[in-house]
Amino acid sequence: MSVIIQIKDKETESSIKKETFFNTTLKNFFLEISLITRFAAHFFIELLKPPYEFGELLKQSYLIGCKSLPLVGITGFIMGLVLTIQSRPTLVQFGAESWLPAMVGVSIIREIGPVITALIFAGKVGSGIGAELASMKVTEQIDAMEVSGTNPFKYIVVTRILSTSLMLPILVVFADVIALYGSYVGVNLKGDVSFHLFFSQVIESLDFMDVFPALIKTFFFGFAIGLIGCYNGYNSNKGTEGVGISANAAVVYASLLVFIIDMMAVQVTSLFM
Amino acid sequence: METKTDHTILKTEIEKMNSAVELKHLKKSFKDKHVLIDINLKLAKGENLVVLGKSGSGKSVLIKCLVGLIDADDGELIVFDKNISETSSDELNTIRKKIGFLFQSGALYDSMSVRENLEFPLRDQKKIFKAELNKLVEEALADVGLSEAIDKMPSELSGGMRKRLGLARTMILKPEIMLYDEPTTGLDPITSKEISKLILEVQKKYNTSSIIITHDIECAKITANRIIILKDGLLAAEGTFKNLEKSEDKWVRSFFE
Ligand SMILES: Nc1ncnc2c1ncn2[C@@H]1O[C@H](COP(=O)(O)OP(=O)(O)OP(=O)(O)O)[C@@H](O)[C@H]1O
Ligand SMILES: [Mg+2]
Repeated sequence: MSVIIQIKDKETESSIKKETFFNTTLKNFFLEISLITRFAAHFFIELLKPPYEFGELLKQSYLIGCKSLPLVGITGFIMGLVLTIQSRPTLVQFGAESWLPAMVGVSIIREIGPVITALIFAGKVGSGIGAELASMKVTEQIDAMEVSGTNPFKYIVVTRILSTSLMLPILVVFADVIALYGSYVGVNLKGDVSFHLFFSQVIESLDFMDVFPALIKTFFFGFAIGLIGCYNGYNSNKGTEGVGISANAAVVYASLLVFIIDMMAVQVTSLFM
Repeated sequence: METKTDHTILKTEIEKMNSAVELKHLKKSFKDKHVLIDINLKLAKGENLVVLGKSGSGKSVLIKCLVGLIDADDGELIVFDKNISETSSDELNTIRKKIGFLFQSGALYDSMSVRENLEFPLRDQKKIFKAELNKLVEEALADVGLSEAIDKMPSELSGGMRKRLGLARTMILKPEIMLYDEPTTGLDPITSKEISKLILEVQKKYNTSSIIITHDIECAKITANRIIILKDGLLAAEGTFKNLEKSEDKWVRSFFE
């Protein structure tokens, strides 16, 4: 913040100053990337080393999965419904109304289901993890674990990142199914397609390369959301304001990362098509 | 600022005993704030050492260095004949399991119930059976008078109850070394006295060596075998309660008024 203010004051000064500004922000950017990478490496090292915290993993998976289920369901339904209603006029123009289930099905499964669910998940779970870990840090709970001989990184961070990586794919499948149901409702608002016909049309239009890459990328979305949430919480500054900052940063960067991973996933899948 | 009180007898006694903890030339600064400058200290086995000092004099930092929560800048930290700053993380964990640490803030696990808080330090001792575990937990709670709160969450407890729960959690492992950061702060005089007696009892029963940070002179009087006072990053005074209480130094005496 202070750096930006400085720049405004010195706008008239030589461009060398601006270069240093870009240098510092760039430096900070790469520093942050390297710290997150190290955090991720630490995760993989601790992941493989026994003892394993199965109990805590189950508990976190349950909490993380259940907490997001209603929200993901509702957004899924609305997503399918709205997408169908919005697409109909265009398809009608081309006389391709019968393509509606197939088109909506493909867009939900390939793209909209995973991405929207991941964004909702980042907002709900990512921020929750960021805030929870930051407040554990502020109230010295992480220190207390360390002193009692438990590895807090393993107990807190590893279990949460694993839970988000495993739970998000399940939530996405759940959201996809509900979204297709929403789409079925949408189709029937102005037409008359039987449940059976709708779903057989959807399934016929999907092939392996629609479903599989979409599912794989949700693992990465989940991993990224857990990683960013934990990173921001675990490294939060002391003090209560650190809690808010961590929660906020967790959502913003996790959402951004979801889009970046999505873009990379498209490139990678197109290689195999 | 060394007090003139004669405690040579005390000193030689300590030299003779095995020490549980030894600090040599401990130094710690945060940026340009020098918190601990040169601390030399021995904690004998089975001894209760009370640490006094003004707020911000570095008492909490001192005991956090001892368990490796804060890395000291310089000096030697020897716990159970091992140099803390040179041990591997596995070794450090083994040492930490023999040390009980009461945080000034309590550091209770918010997401766990009172029972789970107490079970946490015991969680990797797989040989403990459920019945035995329950007995340990109930005993620890009874010791601090919290039996009825066993199924509550920490957020439902009062400040003093949280303090006592923190204490119970620290004591449940029956550690060889106890580090108490203000065990009686925020408690009423009656409970304070009970806690002080409990600390004494633990020392007698398990031959625990303890460092007790406190501002509560009553607590110091009950528990202390020896007292040190921190000032400006150095040990400003050292002696028994009686010695220091009658110190010629006005500043030292002011702690006891
Ligand atoms: N993590 C930290 N980062 C920076 N400064 C710190 C940190 N921890 C403690 N300090 C500083 O070290 C000094 C000593 O702190 P410490 O907590 O040890 O005081 P204390 O003697 O325990 O005081 P009190 O009786 O109020 O608890 C304080 O000035 C504090 O600002
Ligand atoms: Mg303190």
